Amino acid sequence: METAAAANRKTVTMKVRRYVMPEHSELNYLNQEKGIKSWLLTRDHKRIGLMYFFTGAIVFFVAGLIALTIRLELWTPAKTIIDAHTYNELFTLHGTLMIFFFLVPAVPGILGNFFIPLQIGAKDVAFPRLNLLSYYLYLTGIIFTVVTILTHGVDTGWTFYAPYSIKSTTAVIPMTTGIFITGFSSILTGLNFIVTIHKLRAPGLTWGKFPLFVWGIYATSIIQILATPVLAITLALLIMERLLHVGIFNPALGGDPVLYEHFFWFYSHPAVYIMIVPGFGIIADLIATFSHKRLFGYWFVAISTLAIAFLGFLVWGHHMFVAGQSMIASIVFSLLTFMIGIPTGIKIFNWLATMYKGSVRLKVPMLYALSFIFLFSIGGFTGVMLGALSVDVQLHATYYVVAHFHYVMFGGMVIALLGGIHFWWPKMFGKMYSETMARISWFLIFVGFNVTFFPQFILGAKGMPRRYYNYLPQFQPLHQLSTVGSWILALGFFIMLGYLLHSLIKGKKAPANPWDARTLEWMTSSPPPTENFSYTPVVIHGPYEYQRPISEFQLGLLSNGEHGGDELEVEAPSGGNSPEMANV
Amino acid sequence: MSDAVAESRHDSHVYHHFVDAHQQFDASKMGMWIFLGTEILFFGGLFAAYIIFRSWYPQAFIDGSNALDKLVGGADTLDLILSSLTMALAIHSIQTNKQKLTIIYLGITFVLGAFFIGSHIMEWLDNFSHGMYPGSAYAFKGISDSHAYVFFSLYYLMTGLHGIHVLVGMGLMVWLMVKTKRGRFSSEYFTPVEITGLYWHLVDIFWIFLLPLFYLVA
Amino acid sequence: MSEHHITPVKTLIKVGVALAILTVITVGVGFMQLPPPYNVIFSIGIAVVKASLVAMFFMNLYWDKKFNALVLVISLIFLSALVGITMLDTMFRHAIIPTFTAG
Repeated sequence: METAAAANRKTVTMKVRRYVMPEHSELNYLNQEKGIKSWLLTRDHKRIGLMYFFTGAIVFFVAGLIALTIRLELWTPAKTIIDAHTYNELFTLHGTLMIFFFLVPAVPGILGNFFIPLQIGAKDVAFPRLNLLSYYLYLTGIIFTVVTILTHGVDTGWTFYAPYSIKSTTAVIPMTTGIFITGFSSILTGLNFIVTIHKLRAPGLTWGKFPLFVWGIYATSIIQILATPVLAITLALLIMERLLHVGIFNPALGGDPVLYEHFFWFYSHPAVYIMIVPGFGIIADLIATFSHKRLFGYWFVAISTLAIAFLGFLVWGHHMFVAGQSMIASIVFSLLTFMIGIPTGIKIFNWLATMYKGSVRLKVPMLYALSFIFLFSIGGFTGVMLGALSVDVQLHATYYVVAHFHYVMFGGMVIALLGGIHFWWPKMFGKMYSETMARISWFLIFVGFNVTFFPQFILGAKGMPRRYYNYLPQFQPLHQLSTVGSWILALGFFIMLGYLLHSLIKGKKAPANPWDARTLEWMTSSPPPTENFSYTPVVIHGPYEYQRPISEFQLGLLSNGEHGGDELEVEAPSGGNSPEMANV
Repeated sequence: MSDAVAESRHDSHVYHHFVDAHQQFDASKMGMWIFLGTEILFFGGLFAAYIIFRSWYPQAFIDGSNALDKLVGGADTLDLILSSLTMALAIHSIQTNKQKLTIIYLGITFVLGAFFIGSHIMEWLDNFSHGMYPGSAYAFKGISDSHAYVFFSLYYLMTGLHGIHVLVGMGLMVWLMVKTKRGRFSSEYFTPVEITGLYWHLVDIFWIFLLPLFYLVA
Repeated sequence: MSEHHITPVKTLIKVGVALAILTVITVGVGFMQLPPPYNVIFSIGIAVVKASLVAMFFMNLYWDKKFNALVLVISLIFLSALVGITMLDTMFRHAIIPTFTAG
């Protein structure tokens, strides 16, 4: 895959000239085709990205409301507003929605779909119709889940552990079927991106020249391909266990419930990397852009991304230290879990080094990027702590774990997603948002997040178990503090909804490149036309060469019949994929 | 974009975001191989369950396997291998622009698939008549090992999932035959035939492993 | 780059015959009831050979781009990780840790 071998490297001469796309185009992907059918049956990756955005935002909103309800219930030790069975159903739903229907699909679906083709200078992804199918599979999975809620609910927790998931009288089968279907969406999206990144890169765009966001999506896609099928078979087996009593997981029939956990976590641990690795890509791009400095250690960051994707497959047993796993397995898993902190640490230091002596602009996307580094570091450290066997015996299934994963998932991934949305908003919609309101919203979210989740570390260390409806009175003050934090968070998000909607309706028109970036998506209009570029881009520099003039990033092949232009020696993308070579 | 580049005479099947048919064909093949990779991990979970349960209850697996008919297993295998050959021959035919021969080979592949399914159904019914049901419904008295039902649960799960894949493949054969009849494929463009072939061969490979795992344990 | 390599019919038929022969052998040996672990090694070994023949010659990997074969190999590697590491648990559930035995 890498162009390390000299044999792979070949340069060709192409005739190029500068193309300047208009800053705004009245006719763009949003309005070039009209009518509801043109949206529902679209093959445009940008429109599909928006559909994911719309759906994902609704899922996040619903799951967020559930979270607020949960936190409100926990205001008092006994019943506050709901009964215990409902509480179990609510946290199951919150987890399932957030993980399977928001975090896993969101960044690849929204930002990946929208920007991968743009960043590599392609017209679309490799399989646009498959892309549309991916979206509808995602939607179908959500519908199954909605049906589940409206009929019965599920109370097993998002992990559906055997044997309770086998015995529970709630709607386990419909919900797992919904997740199964959405899993296919994830697989097809990953497949699409891998082929796109391999085959559709613009001339000159070698593996060492594309933005880290592309590396992030690439690594994520590999994980999606390899891990999700195992989830699929696990859920299928669970359904068979409930329907046909096959006796694979059910201890009453001689099956092994720990085996269920092995299969489940073989997917679900890499799944957390599916969730965060795109975020790593976003943050790298944000930090480089807003430090106006080349990313420090490009290849270290790129390779460590792949390393995390790989190592992430070898650590799943750290969720099972107290489940009855053999001691040997636990020791091996603990060691591997420690190791996975290394590539992550490499990235964090490279990002910090990027900022050093850079020209840092604290625009809102950068505020989110900096928050990410702080919050994800806390989340990551506490993960390593949980990876220590003896410590985990105390902390497993306590609020410490809840705090840890919210710090990495929310403080990490959601913050990165928000940073990405604020970064790419002008490109997607051609509008700017109010910087002031965005700063206020960011501040509330940052403060609210820490007030909500930091006390949970303390609660957990003091022994408060997770998923518990009741608790001992001494935990109440911290629980109440956490609940107040959730209100601050909610306020931050409502303000965000406000100014983003306002931006759509009345926002200032955005220029093509408001952030003075150098990657290809900024070389086309805001919003882009349906075909992305009116020319075939040719890339001669890396993605973070801010010292070079923008004109050198606006080069494209001469179209048929054109004469003149400059001759340029360009390194062909590895494998000679770009057929433009044939045209020279 | 350079419309000049898609200059091939048969570029009507080339989508606008690809530059030429060659890139599109390569991309489709790569995509199918990645999908096959996911199938390996999907089935692989069941193989993993098999390996683990067999390591726990070896005798149950030996006895269970002896209760199955090796010759039927062997015949099923020969059937699928032959179908892989006819599928490869179908691809060869379309590569050399012989549409009629392609349809014939696809048809034979379909029929062989149907025989396979039929053989399975008969085998399953025969097993049921002896009480060899999966899981808690297991009622066969012929094996003394108390964990024999695990063998049969896995047997039905794995051959069942495999059978579903064969049925899907048969559906794809019909679709390909219809499209070939309508003149959609030629030596210039036969990508769906090629990638369906890849799928069918993988289904054959899975059975190649299911044979020793279930029929030849002893 | 394999430009639509067309495998000759003769090759395809030879591979098919080889597969059939291997099948007959493996079933025949199955009747012979070799002692473990040889029965497993033999039957799985033959299965691997058969699968490789199908992959290389029917699925064209022998002449195809290396990347596609890489996809196949990587899937198998990760499957092995699933099985192998899980068995680190399932095979050693009751392993005694020497220092933990009651004194």
